[in-house]
Amino acid sequence: MESRFIKPALGVYVALFVLFLYGPFVVLTIISFQQGPDGGPQFPIVEWSTYWYRQVFGLTPPSRIAPLPFGEALIRSLVLALMTMVVSTVLGVMSAQAFRRSFKGSTFVFYLIVLGMMVPGVLTGLGTSLLANNIIGIERHWYTTAFATHVAYTFPFAFLVMLAILNRFDSSVEEAAWSLGVDPWTTFRKVTFPLIFPGVLSAMLFAFTLSLDEFPRTLFASGRDQTLPLAIYGTFSVEIHPNIFAFGVLTTLFSFALLSVYGILMALSVRRAKKMAMQEDIA
Amino acid sequence: MSSTVTIQDRQSKVTRWLLVPGIVWMSLFLVVPIAMIVYVSFWTQTTFNISSDPTLASWKQFFSSDTYTGSLWTTIRIWLIVLATTFIVGYPTALFVGLFVKSKTLSTVLLVVCVIPFWTSFLIRVLAWRPMLGKEGAINIVLLKLGIIQQPIEVLLFTELSVIIGMTQIYCVFMVGPIAFMLSRIDRNIIEAARDLGAGFGRIFWKIIFPLSLPGVVVGAIFVSVMVLGEFATSGALSGRKVNLLGNIIVTQVGSLKWAMASVVGVVLTIVMGVVIAGLLRIVDLKREL
Amino acid sequence: MDTSVFRLEGVTKRYGDLVALNDASLEVGANEYLSFLGPSGSGKTTLLRVIAGFEAPETGRIFFDGRDITNVQAHERGIGFVFQNFALFPHLTVMQNVAFGLTNGKTRVPTPEAEGRAAEMIELVGLSGMEGRGVDQISGGQRQRVALARTLAMKPRLVLLDEPLGALDANLRSRMRNELRAIRERLGVTFLHVTGSETEALAMGDRVVVLDRGTIIQTGTPGEIYDRPASPDVAHFLNRFNLFEGTLSNGSFSASFGTIRAPAATRADRDCYAVRYDRVKVLPLSAKPADGPALKATYIASEYLGSSIMSFFDAGQGHLIEMEHHLSLGAPETYEPRQDYLLTWNPEQAIVFGREAAI
Repeated sequence: MESRFIKPALGVYVALFVLFLYGPFVVLTIISFQQGPDGGPQFPIVEWSTYWYRQVFGLTPPSRIAPLPFGEALIRSLVLALMTMVVSTVLGVMSAQAFRRSFKGSTFVFYLIVLGMMVPGVLTGLGTSLLANNIIGIERHWYTTAFATHVAYTFPFAFLVMLAILNRFDSSVEEAAWSLGVDPWTTFRKVTFPLIFPGVLSAMLFAFTLSLDEFPRTLFASGRDQTLPLAIYGTFSVEIHPNIFAFGVLTTLFSFALLSVYGILMALSVRRAKKMAMQEDIA
Repeated sequence: MSSTVTIQDRQSKVTRWLLVPGIVWMSLFLVVPIAMIVYVSFWTQTTFNISSDPTLASWKQFFSSDTYTGSLWTTIRIWLIVLATTFIVGYPTALFVGLFVKSKTLSTVLLVVCVIPFWTSFLIRVLAWRPMLGKEGAINIVLLKLGIIQQPIEVLLFTELSVIIGMTQIYCVFMVGPIAFMLSRIDRNIIEAARDLGAGFGRIFWKIIFPLSLPGVVVGAIFVSVMVLGEFATSGALSGRKVNLLGNIIVTQVGSLKWAMASVVGVVLTIVMGVVIAGLLRIVDLKREL
Repeated sequence: MDTSVFRLEGVTKRYGDLVALNDASLEVGANEYLSFLGPSGSGKTTLLRVIAGFEAPETGRIFFDGRDITNVQAHERGIGFVFQNFALFPHLTVMQNVAFGLTNGKTRVPTPEAEGRAAEMIELVGLSGMEGRGVDQISGGQRQRVALARTLAMKPRLVLLDEPLGALDANLRSRMRNELRAIRERLGVTFLHVTGSETEALAMGDRVVVLDRGTIIQTGTPGEIYDRPASPDVAHFLNRFNLFEGTLSNGSFSASFGTIRAPAATRADRDCYAVRYDRVKVLPLSAKPADGPALKATYIASEYLGSSIMSFFDAGQGHLIEMEHHLSLGAPETYEPRQDYLLTWNPEQAIVFGREAAI
């Protein structure tokens, strides 16, 4: 059969694809071990060293290269991502819960929400800053205007995740709780929420990651105090040093740590989901 | 009397209150801002100031300047090229992950491998292409070592090509995901049946696999379009200011406080975006595919 | 009836163009066991869901305990519901499932007291010792009992059962049937039981309500339903009647078995002649019945059912006639396969439906 050699050919292709996907990151990692402080962000590697990693943490003696101004920006970004995560997950769960019943104008509301992930960030950012700057006349801050645009961006993702989870949710357990005299709110807290928790966790993860790395919206809407992506963008215009690459490697490792925590939480709640699935099998 | 409140009334009240916060948020921080862009595009701009007197001046300036109209065509050109390259690069991968890999574990692993790069900051991922493509970059070094080229290729960095390479790498995963998802939903029995009837792989691909994966291609195209059309960071970082997309113009205009001009470009971008998304949504009903 | 616990008045429920319930009215007495019988899609589950308050009817009123509950939400109705898929809370243990309504309901019972009451219920359904298990660690029949105990712990006066035995195997089903009956005697609860099985409906119900296409077509004791089905359709789902299509005219019914007097016909939308399986008699082909019906049919096979034997005959054109012989009436006769016999019955015992009938 022809497909006998199509599969290996595709396998080789996928290997090349992965190389393409990871190539820049590999190069970035290599260069992050460039000699410092004189080695530049390019080949060849003059001498292997961990200079730039020490420099990120401020452990090197002062040199002509200023340390990255990322400390406060990182904290701002984390706080912003947490705020965004909480608000957009709450909004996402609420809206998806509403979509379990059919109502007039549901298609309109669906697209209104999904619009948030479709409109380019540069437009939302521009519009929000116009609104704040030229119409209302308030100052822009990362925790006000930028926060508003972040939620408008991540809420659709949380909404879609929850919609997919609730579509598969067997509502007879909720009806069972009602028939036991338990009011809808308590039912939601004691039955629905524990059972959709894996989905809520995914929605939170989505919102947190997207907000942490959000750049175009923040660029216009955040005002004077920079978030992390803005601080990184700031280094674009001046000379690039391998310290930014070292920083990239560190943040990636941090992300992996976060992903592992998520994975553990997920594994714990999947056990619950399995119980659910087993019950459905019987039905 | 309370007994006149029916169960349906109560349920629709609950639905309403669940929806209100989301609708209010999206209206205030998404719809109003976009309306704002349209409104401000007709304002009067002076060197250091802007007033709400209506004028078409900024619009006339946009259409009479080669820089601005040029950026519109560049945006459309780059968008079409990146759409094509992400599709070409992504489809075979999706085909392998979604259709050819039989073990569920392996396909999950491959999808995770595709997602991992997203855990590195977007801007650092863009920046990582510089030591890759530069004159003394990794690609040139490898090619020189292999003896394929004698002189380093200089067009790799700070050209339109570098922007396209960078964007393809960053966005191709958004093409792979939806297509692989669609392919994995194809009933294998159909393919087996076609094979039993003596159809070759090419025929099966064009008659069965490709048409069934089309909704995935469209969803992927929506993702890629949304992101590429609004781009400015990749073009800014990898083209050495040679490639100016609509997004770059907006950034520059805002930087010099030319709000009216930025808004005109914003409106143009919104229109392009609207046409593209509406066109793609005509092919596939997003709400149904979820 | 003064003892009426529950009443439905002209309840109609639509899903778009589909009428799921059409003008249903019903009255149920205290401590009564009512079975709802009907094919799938007949609206019997919708009826239960409307009573429970999960669905709101378009028109009509629902009364429970002397109160109009049409606009009362499900959790305030105090009506128990046992689901076909049990709908246990998968994240809770058996004990937590059974005590759930007590600890989280309107009148929050303190946990120790709730657990005491839950333990009683668990004992009642015979699951003592399993309190700490997760609901995925018990068998299907045990889950059924947990679902029942969970509902009964709330001491509801009315319990709705939606095909609660459908998910169990035959053995378990008959055991659960006996237990349901015993529980009802002990607790004095009114049960409304939806089932697709005519055996279950006739065996369990004090009264049986037959539904078809959203309409209640007959209500009566199992005996009444069994002896006098109200329409050809009821006779059909009971699965106890041989039905013959034919024509009723001037008090006589003509069909494949000839023309017979039919003085007491029941009004129906089509002409149909029904003979219960156990009313059919088999004669050798040579016999000449006096003036009753006579139908030539070929014997196919017999099936042993424990207390009776079913014999199948082909009356031509694929029309299968079934004959039931109760073993208590004596040893069964044996018939030769592919041999022709003469089938007959007492015309007084047949049920005739027709358009020209008076009632």
